[in-house]
Amino acid sequence: MSEGAAVVRPVTEPVVILDDVAVSFARGRRLVDVFRRRPGSVVQAVDGVSLELRPGEVLAIVGESGCGKTTTANLIMGLLRPSRGRVIVDGQDLAGLAESDRRRRRRRMQMVFQDPYESLNPRMTVGEIVAEPLQVHRATATRGESETLVLQALERAGLRPAERFLAVRPVELSGGQRQRVVIASALVLEPQVIIADEPVSMLDVSIRADILNLLASLATKQDIAIVMITHDMSTVAAFSDRVAVMYLGRVVETGPSRQVLTSPRHPYTQALVSVVPVPHPSRRRPPLVLVGETPDPSRIPPGCRFHPRCPVAFARCPQVDPPLFDVGGGQKAACLLVGG
Amino acid sequence: MTVWRKLLRHRLGAVGLAMLAVAVLVAIFAAVIAPYDPYENVRVSIDDIYQSPSPQHLLGTDDAGKDVFSGLVYGARVSLLVGFAGAFISLIVGGVIGLVAGFKGGRLGNGLMRFTDFFLVIPELALQIVIVAIIGQSLRNIILVIGLLGWTTSARLVRAQTLSVRARKFVERARAVGASDLYILRRHIFPQVVPLMLANAVLTISLAILAESTLAFIGLGDPTVISWGQMLNFAFTRGAVSAGAWWALVAPGLAIVWVVLGVTLLGNALEDLLNPRRGRHFLEPEPAMPAEETVGPAAERGAPAVLAVQDLAVEFVVAGARMRAVDGTTFSVRKGEALGLVGESGSGKTTAMLAALRLLPPGGEVVGGSVLLGGQNVFALTADELRDVRWTRMAMVFQGAMNALNPVRTVEDQIVEAISLHDPDLSKSAAQERAAHLLEVMGIDADRGSEYPHQFSGGMRQRAMIALALACDPDVIVADEPTTALDVMIQAQILELLKKLQRELGMALVLITHDLGVVAESCDRVVVMYGGIVAEQGTVEEVYSDPQHPYTKLLMEAFPDMEDPDRPLVSIPGLPPRLDRLPPGCRFAPRCPAAFDRCQVERPPSYVLSPGREASCFLLESRQVVGV
Repeated sequence: MSEGAAVVRPVTEPVVILDDVAVSFARGRRLVDVFRRRPGSVVQAVDGVSLELRPGEVLAIVGESGCGKTTTANLIMGLLRPSRGRVIVDGQDLAGLAESDRRRRRRRMQMVFQDPYESLNPRMTVGEIVAEPLQVHRATATRGESETLVLQALERAGLRPAERFLAVRPVELSGGQRQRVVIASALVLEPQVIIADEPVSMLDVSIRADILNLLASLATKQDIAIVMITHDMSTVAAFSDRVAVMYLGRVVETGPSRQVLTSPRHPYTQALVSVVPVPHPSRRRPPLVLVGETPDPSRIPPGCRFHPRCPVAFARCPQVDPPLFDVGGGQKAACLLVGG
Repeated sequence: MTVWRKLLRHRLGAVGLAMLAVAVLVAIFAAVIAPYDPYENVRVSIDDIYQSPSPQHLLGTDDAGKDVFSGLVYGARVSLLVGFAGAFISLIVGGVIGLVAGFKGGRLGNGLMRFTDFFLVIPELALQIVIVAIIGQSLRNIILVIGLLGWTTSARLVRAQTLSVRARKFVERARAVGASDLYILRRHIFPQVVPLMLANAVLTISLAILAESTLAFIGLGDPTVISWGQMLNFAFTRGAVSAGAWWALVAPGLAIVWVVLGVTLLGNALEDLLNPRRGRHFLEPEPAMPAEETVGPAAERGAPAVLAVQDLAVEFVVAGARMRAVDGTTFSVRKGEALGLVGESGSGKTTAMLAALRLLPPGGEVVGGSVLLGGQNVFALTADELRDVRWTRMAMVFQGAMNALNPVRTVEDQIVEAISLHDPDLSKSAAQERAAHLLEVMGIDADRGSEYPHQFSGGMRQRAMIALALACDPDVIVADEPTTALDVMIQAQILELLKKLQRELGMALVLITHDLGVVAESCDRVVVMYGGIVAEQGTVEEVYSDPQHPYTKLLMEAFPDMEDPDRPLVSIPGLPPRLDRLPPGCRFAPRCPAAFDRCQVERPPSYVLSPGREASCFLLESRQVVGV
């Protein structure tokens, strides 16, 4: 696609495409390595991830720590450059953009962090916090214009009446209200994409649904694409359209959320789904608890990365690195048992 | 504004501020206060020299026959000027170097810090003497030298603060928004660094004043101005001692002490107020309750309760106000039973258990009720008895415990220590054997016990913490959110382990959590807490399949169920009660959809619905079972 040209896209066109991206970090040589004459290790944080994100869609990225979900989020945000593959935003390859253009793009990508207690500067008022992105991007000409946008954003984030919150400081707010402030400050720049990194894990159970419903309504009513990074399978089922399960830098299974969670095909997804506690003692079932922990991403096992912990691994698994096989209905799984 | 008020309330700080204010006023109004002008050249006769204090010369005269009091008053100008100007230069230099080093990090930051270290090890005074001797003894030079050599502390302080602020989430968020470095520095980092710098600045002033006095005293002051050090120097070198003119020495000395003391008091007070030390340790409050050796109705059903909490009430004193965090809570755990203590933040679930172990943080106090551990009232124990009971009868795995291991000792060492503390007769090898066994039980290879905590993953550290809790074979283990912050698969592993341990060792387990799913999966009974009281309790089957309290019902509906994703999740309107503004009636009334008039004014008692099943809601009054 030609650079710089305005691209008119139909609504269903993805706003973000990750095309076989990989990111590796060189982990510095430690003193031990020098003595043992070992080179510094290379960490493959993300290795061959392809994802599409459409307007109005909630995509959940699920996985344990070290699986590459945060790196993937940073790639979408344009905060990281891929060492391989392409990140296409609005039909434009980010690699071809100058730094200033990338920063302008970043206006359309906003992030909501996990910890609403830590992610607000305690010395600023809510009004200042929400206006901050406008100032940073010099998005408004006048003070009045800025205030109008701030008030609108607060309303959209469910903080009503918005005027009452302008001069309030974060200490005076509850956790749920703080998270709404974070969301308001993400909304103020009219983003196309919001990346929410464990948006409710620090909040009390009784108010989680509010925040999740708010995010879901931003997607359906305002056509914002939402990426929800989480480890909580039960919120994935209730609040996302599609899910990508990641393990060691790869997407191992993806598809419509309900379908993936009710009939997971990859053994890792099956295990993840089985260990989610069900709040009904009568429905207790034996969880499929995997032994061991996710290996160090600098030492990725050969073949299928999951085979050392896989309960159903067989002879070919250590030899063949399975691609994502289509299992129908938009669901794909990277397991030899599915498509090999 | 609030800092200002706090400072005035801080007794020593207010004194320091007053002392400094006196000195500043004296310096400003020197011309009015001083009876003579010490800079005026007057002819003096030999009789004027070293006159003792008199009504004409309140503090006598000096070696040149000049009024000592007037000298002191004018000297205040020089001392304070050098103090403030020198400190100002130090702060600018130190602040910039600290900010850049802390914010930029990397090679530049390292280089700057090595540069700072270099200045830190140079004997400052010696260098000041040399430089002043070379570039000349003018007031300007002295200020420059003092300022340019005194910045190291500020630089290190500012760098440390910058580093810690830089790592905070709101800075990360600003960066994600697209803010530039300069913006982040100005808007987020600088305001957090300034208070610390202010406290540091005040202390730097006193150092600068001392440095000036020292230089002047050894004859390197500006000879054209009168400073206190200069006065000391003249008096000392020109025969004040042999003439017995103590006033010429004592007066400027006391003036220096006055200002330095005032500034130091003020600085310390500011540091107290602006730099609250973090990470307070748990203190053990003295037993507040009279010893009442009651064996309560805990031993009602079947196996005796190993832990019985009776009408427990805990208050916190915060800023003079008493707040009730736990208010008349009763529940018990039997041997081999797993009890889930569920509630939102502020429900009092953790506080109740901390109180039971007498580990309340400062300000917390048990004001009523009892905790029976194996029939013994915990609150009636002496400190020694308490030490014996802790860990051998009841051990606690704290929230975020995986970060509570000592980083410089091996994991096994720490477990051995816990064993030996409570069983000093056990040989070291036997203790080591037990530690290795415990680690193995927790699924950690015994030979990894010789590793340090940082070599363990989060999940392994949490296992090690549980092994540590098991060290003395306790009757009850209290685990406070043992799986929060762990990955789902690791959570599942830890929960399985706890269940297994509890089955095999017959321990009682109290699991504090907000996760209804975890309780459903791994507990026998559940206590739902809200606003410091027990809203409902019973077996997990009873409570989950047929919740009675409106709060429990709503909580269940707010919790997602993966097997039923189409059920809409509700949020409970409103917020959990604030401890300083507890509603007068039922704690849940302001958020309760079923609340009626009585709920607003009267607190519902706990109605027994069947043995072991209780709920605290007026709607259940008619269903109460009497006489169980």
